[in-house]
Amino acid sequence: MGDPGAFNSYYPTFLRYIGTAIVLALLIYLTYQGLRKLGVKREAATGFALITPWLVGRILLTAFPILLSFYLGFTEYNILWDEPRSLKDPLFNYKRALSFKIVEFDKDERVSIAKLGQLQAEGPDIVRYRELDSVVIGDTRYVIAATDIYLWRAIWLTLRYAVLSIPLGMAGALGVALLLNQNVKGVGYWRTLYYLPAVLPAAAVALLWFWLFAPNRGLINWALGPIYDLTNSEPLGWFTDKNLVLPSFVIMSMWGIFGANTVILLAGLKNIPPDLYEAASIDGAGNWVKFRHVTIPMLSPTLFYVLIMGVIGALQLFTEQAFIPTEREDGWFVNWFLYNEAFNFGRMGYASAVGWLYAVFIIAITLLVFRSSAAWVFYEGAREKEAGGA
Amino acid sequence: MATETSAQVLPYDEMARRHRIETLLTRAIIYALLLIGAAIILIPFLWMVSTSLKVERQLFEWPPRWIPDPVAFENYWKAWEQLGSIAPGLTFWRIISNTLFITVLAMFAEMFSAAVVAYGFARFRFKGRDVLFFIMLSTMMIPGVLTRVPSFLIWREVGLLNTYDPLTLPAWTAWGPAYVFLLRQFFLTIPREMDEAAIIDGANPVQVFFYVMLPLVKPAFLAIGVLAFQGNWNNFEGPLIYLNTTQLFPLILSIQFFQQSLSKEAPKWHYMMAMATMMAAPILLLFFMAQRYFIEGLNVGAVKG
Repeated sequence: MGDPGAFNSYYPTFLRYIGTAIVLALLIYLTYQGLRKLGVKREAATGFALITPWLVGRILLTAFPILLSFYLGFTEYNILWDEPRSLKDPLFNYKRALSFKIVEFDKDERVSIAKLGQLQAEGPDIVRYRELDSVVIGDTRYVIAATDIYLWRAIWLTLRYAVLSIPLGMAGALGVALLLNQNVKGVGYWRTLYYLPAVLPAAAVALLWFWLFAPNRGLINWALGPIYDLTNSEPLGWFTDKNLVLPSFVIMSMWGIFGANTVILLAGLKNIPPDLYEAASIDGAGNWVKFRHVTIPMLSPTLFYVLIMGVIGALQLFTEQAFIPTEREDGWFVNWFLYNEAFNFGRMGYASAVGWLYAVFIIAITLLVFRSSAAWVFYEGAREKEAGGA
Repeated sequence: MATETSAQVLPYDEMARRHRIETLLTRAIIYALLLIGAAIILIPFLWMVSTSLKVERQLFEWPPRWIPDPVAFENYWKAWEQLGSIAPGLTFWRIISNTLFITVLAMFAEMFSAAVVAYGFARFRFKGRDVLFFIMLSTMMIPGVLTRVPSFLIWREVGLLNTYDPLTLPAWTAWGPAYVFLLRQFFLTIPREMDEAAIIDGANPVQVFFYVMLPLVKPAFLAIGVLAFQGNWNNFEGPLIYLNTTQLFPLILSIQFFQQSLSKEAPKWHYMMAMATMMAAPILLLFFMAQRYFIEGLNVGAVKG
């Protein structure tokens, strides 16, 4: 495609941009007039009219795409085609994603693809089972085979990333916030400093850490040089080593997200009324008791918020991955896997199906965290209400 | 870990002295830890800037050189020249204007529509309001993977792929629930007498909104402006999916395009770091100028939620 020129690529969009604004303003006005004609009170009509831009946007740009995506999950759709094609077996995409089986081999037998077999479902192409992992028990090797090993690898990587990066990040951020809450001089400057990496664009952070972790002559391997010399070992490969991809991403995320959580937690700490600590002191509480029974409960709503945001963010990591080329085999996160399935491998139907499964999974985990909050998050207001009712 | 150094009544000088030393020691440890943290934060950051100013042969010097000699400022335009040689027409100024075009349009529409919708949710009672507000907050949980493919198909269907429309037009529909939430919390704190008085004085609802309400929530309005600018400036997924003519690429996508073109030969780390620094610079500048608004926006969900 040729260069349309700057002006030619801006002004049509700009006109439609203005047009959209006018249409939405008209929509607000007409909704108001319409509701008034129907005898709705002025206040209610105004309020409802004002939220129509949001309502229309969510129906057209959220609800409709979600339903469309559900439908696409039962079709085959290459990005080069104009329309989706129906599948002989409508559940083919789901079977392709979820099928796995365990095949027995002799301990010394080579794992052959032929013996693993193929997916028994009518679809556009033949899908073979491939080895995901294997365990040897006695004389038998049990091979766990799946039809889409890359999906399972991506899920496994993403989950481990979430489980490692969220608690580590929260603990670190809490530690720094507690330090900054000790009447430190120039707390504003410290806070700015610690917040700095969180302001950096994720793309810049990713590029920077890719360079820091460069296997030959990256700064980190230089700093670790004496240790390599001492132990007579090869420099680590970090992002290029399949075993170290995960820790590399975790370290990078800690540097990047840390600061934002620190600022949030620090604000939470400042909100704890000092008289609670005084009361605890008078009762003879030590520092640990104060931390455990005053700081943590009072901070728990803030911790909860940080946790929820962490879960949602970690399970959807995307931008960083685009700037750090890793091996598909061991270094792809689910979101990147899905993007590539849809837009580079020509499987939009399959990506929609897996996208649905993954979305349900994310929402389930988020809700689970929400449910768990009743057990450990302490809301002062709620407690007062209870006491008032009793 | 000393949480509080509360004054206690100490009968003996010796104990007071010990206590003082203990306090001093604790303070020293606190500052030492903070300084170690600061080093961890700053070293990668300085390394980025340092690398961006190096000539190619000094990139891999061993041990690493912190202060480049000579200082190669030319990296900051040579990087774009090299990018221009693989993507004709994609000059530095073109990239900047593409990025600003998307960012400013989307930011303005986002701020404005969020204010209107938040005003509707905060000041007027109507049937189903609380349910709709709850739905709005729930949309924050909807993962992007669910809407990515169908949104692409919808924009392709209306023939607006490879334009800036998908990146700017939807912003008019208040697509950031967090912004609506933030503004609503602020609108709720304004006493009702304010708008009632204006209406008695003969103002219509549009005038009330622009001349009474918006000035009163200015801090929150600017906070979401800052967040929306940052969000759109950093948005990668949208341009990646909707744009395919290189001349239309914003900064972030241009950098990724450049990086991918390099992967086969020796990575030009000095150019990459110069680009990363330039990508970060406006956001950092904004941060130093408007830090208050960044932190305001960051804290609202946690503290007011």
